[in-house]
Amino acid sequence: MLGKIWAVAFLELRIWTRMPMAAAGALIPPLGMVILLLVLSLSAGKQPVALVACSKGSQAVRMADIIKKDSEAYLLTVTDSSAASNMLAGQEVAAVITIPDDFDTALAKGSASLELKLNNVDIDFSDDIRRSVDRSAAQFDAPAMAPRDGDEGQGEERDPYALLMDSPNPYLINIAEDDMRETNVGFLSYQLIPALALLILSVGLAGSALMRAKERENGTSRYLLLSPVPSWALIAGRLSGGLLASLSALLPAAAVCLLTGVITVPPGHWPSLVLIFITTGLFASGLGNLIGSIIPGTGLAAMTTSTVSAILFFLGGGFTTIAFLPEWLRIISSFVPMRYAIDGLRQSLFYPDLKGIVTDLAVLSLSALSSIIAGMAMFRKSWS
Amino acid sequence: MKQIAIAVIGGFRAESVQMRRSKLLLFLATVQSVIFIFLVSIFGLTGSRAPIAIVDEDRGFYSAIFTDSLNNAHHSFSLKFMEKEKALDAVKHGDLVSVIKIPAGFSSGIEAGRNVFIDVMVDNIDVDMTEDIQRAVPSAIVNFARKAGLPGIRVKVNETDMIGHDTGFIPYLVVSALALAAFVVSGILSAAALSHEFESGTIKLLEIAPVNPLAPISGRIAASALYSLAVLLISLSVVIFFYGIIPLHPLELAAAVVMCVIIFSCAGALLGAFLKRTLPAASLVFGLALPLYIDSGAMEPERFDGNAIWAIAHLSPLYYAVGILEHAFHGFQVTPEPVFINFIALFIWAAVLLIFTAGVLKARMASC
Repeated sequence: MLGKIWAVAFLELRIWTRMPMAAAGALIPPLGMVILLLVLSLSAGKQPVALVACSKGSQAVRMADIIKKDSEAYLLTVTDSSAASNMLAGQEVAAVITIPDDFDTALAKGSASLELKLNNVDIDFSDDIRRSVDRSAAQFDAPAMAPRDGDEGQGEERDPYALLMDSPNPYLINIAEDDMRETNVGFLSYQLIPALALLILSVGLAGSALMRAKERENGTSRYLLLSPVPSWALIAGRLSGGLLASLSALLPAAAVCLLTGVITVPPGHWPSLVLIFITTGLFASGLGNLIGSIIPGTGLAAMTTSTVSAILFFLGGGFTTIAFLPEWLRIISSFVPMRYAIDGLRQSLFYPDLKGIVTDLAVLSLSALSSIIAGMAMFRKSWS
Repeated sequence: MKQIAIAVIGGFRAESVQMRRSKLLLFLATVQSVIFIFLVSIFGLTGSRAPIAIVDEDRGFYSAIFTDSLNNAHHSFSLKFMEKEKALDAVKHGDLVSVIKIPAGFSSGIEAGRNVFIDVMVDNIDVDMTEDIQRAVPSAIVNFARKAGLPGIRVKVNETDMIGHDTGFIPYLVVSALALAAFVVSGILSAAALSHEFESGTIKLLEIAPVNPLAPISGRIAASALYSLAVLLISLSVVIFFYGIIPLHPLELAAAVVMCVIIFSCAGALLGAFLKRTLPAASLVFGLALPLYIDSGAMEPERFDGNAIWAIAHLSPLYYAVGILEHAFHGFQVTPEPVFINFIALFIWAAVLLIFTAGVLKARMASC
């Protein structure tokens, strides 16, 4: 019987690969997501700022150096006052930091200032700039406030407390930062994980739904009643076909991510990773069968699957961090299976342990089982 | 001329009947247009207020000032007071971005003018979030020093804002999301209207019609555009009544929405004519929606992302639409080009797309 199930599954996969429009329909949303991430990764974190140093005094030069060195925060253009104003008006920069010409004199009196002119159209980037300028100003009197170098603290034994105590700090508070990991994960790597989850979801969901919808449109589904193979085996084969389609789309994408070093799998985390991919694929395939068996027409099925996958993806934390969301939204999110898929993938790839992975897998398996049962029932019903 | 008008009206009626019969299609289009506004808001929630735990082992006068400063550090943190073990557990599981421990003796140390330490444990899983924390904690310390009146601080920041008030990330995002909703709804509905002609084979019958076949097709596209406009009014109501964002320039808003519907309906029709199938056309519109949206100044003025990305953004009508919508709602100029230039650009887009769509349709019909 297993052979018959596999035969149906491979047939499903072959039909799917011969429907380039369906394949394109399933692949375009995740591809769009990747393009979006690439665009976002170009601009995440740094803000374009102009620096105008009106004073050539030694302290003003030191202040300017502090700002220039903070390349994590600023995409800096050093210019004069009138050019900076033009850049601000032309939106080439989001802010202008001016070191006034009396900086050294005022500093001697203990009342120097940095002038910040900010285009505050929204608080997202405005606050980034405010925080960065605050830090730069603080760094002048308290050098320990300086941003850490990327490689600092790695490989060498240092006593941060001793270093900080030697440094002057009128703010009186020193920060002893303790990073949980040896290296930071880049924005692109962090966000590509949900894109992989979207790929499985989109292909499994859209692939299965469109196949079912097309069968209904063509009227071929009723011929299945005449098949000598038991109906459960046919349905299992269809579901496996959806899973195979998901995995065949995922494998090249995952291989590219692994080969380019965008993602690395910690030792011992492969089994959990594979299980998450499979359970997510089964869930998507089951749900796709359900949608395709209910919704009439391929066009409508395509619209439904794109809407459903967008909702599942966003509410599952695909484009956000669930911990940031308000309580009520977190409660809603806890009912979204994709949350467990994305959580599980991040846990498997970025964390040293596999805490919570059992829960993630249990919820995903239960969701897959529910969607498969519902999908099977509706699919069988659609034959008649 | 009369025959053409009859054909246009006929196409319009036919599409209206088709739409009324496709209640599910209209429902899905409406859901998509509203859902995009909500989904974009969810993204907006991550722009600020990172969840962090405060483990306050001091509970003194100055630790209270410091936590208050953290709370007011430019919308940086959402503070949760926790026990150390629980906080460490939460940060290890990814529920928190950071744990800040204020040690016992913090207040007495500050009182005595001694340097004190705070332990900041950062889940540096994502470089973007880590850098936010690394900027925000010093910013809170600066705020603390000001509130506590600490001596010896020689440099302060004088800020001048170009706009008299701050605008939240979500109010900024949802306004631009209207352009995205217009793109998705108008694009999909008109693509569906056109590709349905090819899928059902009725496009061939139009060839033998006594009038130019473009006439009934124009009527169909006009009907789908009108339905899109009705759907968009629902999204607009959500923005105004649910999010409470009142447009400063309603006429400008109305003009922008109508222009968006015309342009994206033409774009959808073009796509439908090219692909001849609803499925890939709908998926393409959906897949392109977010990348185009992000590269349109939807999150911040687009030029802040650099001149190359800004130049690319000019190739999409969403850029001009977002520029007008942000001005219509908030009074912001988010493109270096003034609003009237954005309108002219949209008019040109509409005219070019109308002509181009007509040309492509003619060619596609001839090849049927």
